Amino acid sequence: MKRDIAIEVKNVSKKFKIPHEKIDTMRSIFVNIFSKKTYEEFKALDDVSFKVKKGETFGIIGRNGSGKSTLLKILSGVYRVDEGEVNIDGKISPFLELGIGFNPELSGRDNIFLNATILGLNQKEIKEKFDHILEFSEIGRFIDQKVKNYSSGMKGRLAFSVAIHADREILLMDEVMAVGDMRFKDKCLDVFENFKKQGKTIVLVNHSPEVIRVNCDNAMVLDGGKVMAVGDPDEVMKEYERIVNV
Amino acid sequence: MFQFLKQHENYKELIWVLAKTDFKLRYHGSVLGYVWALLQPLAMFAVLNFVFSSIFARGGGEPFYSLQLIVGIMMFTFFSEGTSSGMKSLLSKSQLITKTYVPKWTIILSSTIHSVLTYLMSLIIVVVFFIWKGLVPSFGAVMMFLFFSFLIYVIIVSFSFLTASLFIRFRDLAMIWGVVTQMLFYATPIVYPLKTMTENMQQLLLANPLAFIVHFTKESLINDHFPDLWQINFFIVLLLLIFIISIFVYKKTSKGIAENF
Repeated sequence: MKRDIAIEVKNVSKKFKIPHEKIDTMRSIFVNIFSKKTYEEFKALDDVSFKVKKGETFGIIGRNGSGKSTLLKILSGVYRVDEGEVNIDGKISPFLELGIGFNPELSGRDNIFLNATILGLNQKEIKEKFDHILEFSEIGRFIDQKVKNYSSGMKGRLAFSVAIHADREILLMDEVMAVGDMRFKDKCLDVFENFKKQGKTIVLVNHSPEVIRVNCDNAMVLDGGKVMAVGDPDEVMKEYERIVNV
Repeated sequence: MFQFLKQHENYKELIWVLAKTDFKLRYHGSVLGYVWALLQPLAMFAVLNFVFSSIFARGGGEPFYSLQLIVGIMMFTFFSEGTSSGMKSLLSKSQLITKTYVPKWTIILSSTIHSVLTYLMSLIIVVVFFIWKGLVPSFGAVMMFLFFSFLIYVIIVSFSFLTASLFIRFRDLAMIWGVVTQMLFYATPIVYPLKTMTENMQQLLLANPLAFIVHFTKESLINDHFPDLWQINFFIVLLLLIFIISIFVYKKTSKGIAENF
C-alpha cells in the first residue's frame, strides 16, 4: 500500500445468510434436529474496490439497502470481510452512530467518560478534553443530571461533542451532521471544515448529492452492493441521479 | 489484515470503566445502595442458618457453623453471579459489538471484574461475621482463602469465555445454567459439612472443583486444616487446562457474532 493512501479496499465481498427460521435456542436445535435448515443468501457487497487518499474527504452515496452501512461496518471493524482485503493506515474513528454505550441512568458526566473510553480515549485524555467537550455540547449545568432527563437534542449534542474529540486520523461519518438546531449545525460544519484543514481523512456517507458535491474531493456510488461509479463528485452524482430516476 | 490492535490502546481502562459503570448502575438509585447487593446472600444465610444450624450445629456438632455457612454462600454467590453475568455479557452490551469496534474479550473481562467488585463488597460482611463470632483464622488460612477466591475467578473467566458468544446464538442457555447452578449449590458442601457424607460420596463430591474449593476454604479458616499439595496442584492444572480450552473456544465462537445478532 502506498504511503499516501489511508484506506484501501480491494475486491471486498460480504454475504449474509438469512435463515427462514431462526434457530436461537438449544431447544429449537433439538426440535429441528431432522428438519432441513434453509436460508437465503444476500450479497450486501459485491467485489467492491476503492482507495481513499490521506487528507481526502470521500463521499459514499447510494439508495437504501445499497450496502453503505455494511461497508462502513467493515471499515470500522464491526464486520469481517468474506472475500477481499481492507487496509487501513491510521487510527479510525467508528462514527457509525452517536452516543454508543450511552446509558440513560448515568449522568452526562459519566456518559462522557464512558462513551469517550469506548471511542478509544484514555482517562488522562478525557480529563484534559472534558471542558472542551462540555463547552461544545452546551449542556452547561445539566451535566450532572441523568441523561434520561435530557431532551433528544441535548443527547445528540453531547454525543456529537464526545465523538469529535475522539481525535482520530480517519473519520467515518454516517449522516451524523443532523443534530441540534441551526446554530449547532453551523458549529458542526465549522468542526467539519477544521477537520479538513487538519488534514484528516473523512469518509462521508450521505443521501444528499448536494452535501457530497460541496464537501467531497472524491465520491462513490453504491447500488445493490456494487460500485457503480467512483471518482469526481460531479460525475459520480450524475450517475447517482440516473440510478435514482430509473 | 486489519490492524485493530492499534485502534484500542486503552484496553485496561476500557475494561475498568465498563466494570465500574455496571457496578454503579446496579446499585445506584436506591437509597440503601450497596445494602441491596448484599441483601440476597444475607437473606439466604438467615434462612439456611435458621433451618440447618439446629441440625448441624446442635450440641457443638459443627464449630462456627454460621461462619462456615456465610463463607460458603458468599463464595458460591460469587461463582453463580459471575458465571451468569459473564455468559450474558456480550448480549447485554450488544451495542458495543454491532455499532462500533470494541474487542469482545474486553467486554467479557469487564463483566468478571464487576463480579469481583461485588464479591469484595460481600467479603466485608464475612469479616464482620468473623469479628462478631470472635474467630481469628491463621495467616495461612487467609492466604488459602484468597487463593481459592482467585481460583473461582479463573473458573468465572473460563466459563464466560466459553459461553458468552454461544449465549448470543442460544438464548436458553441462561435457563439451563440457572438449573445447573441450583444443583451445584447442593452438590457443594455449603449448608452441610462434607463429613456427613459417606466416604465414597465425599470423594465424588470433591472431584467438583467448586466443592473442593468451598470445603477446604471452610476447613482452613475454621479448623486450620489444609488440603494436600498434590490436590491443589491437580486443580490448578485442571483449571489452567479449562482456561486454555476456553480461550480457544472463544476464538472460534466469537468470530462473526456481530453479523449474527
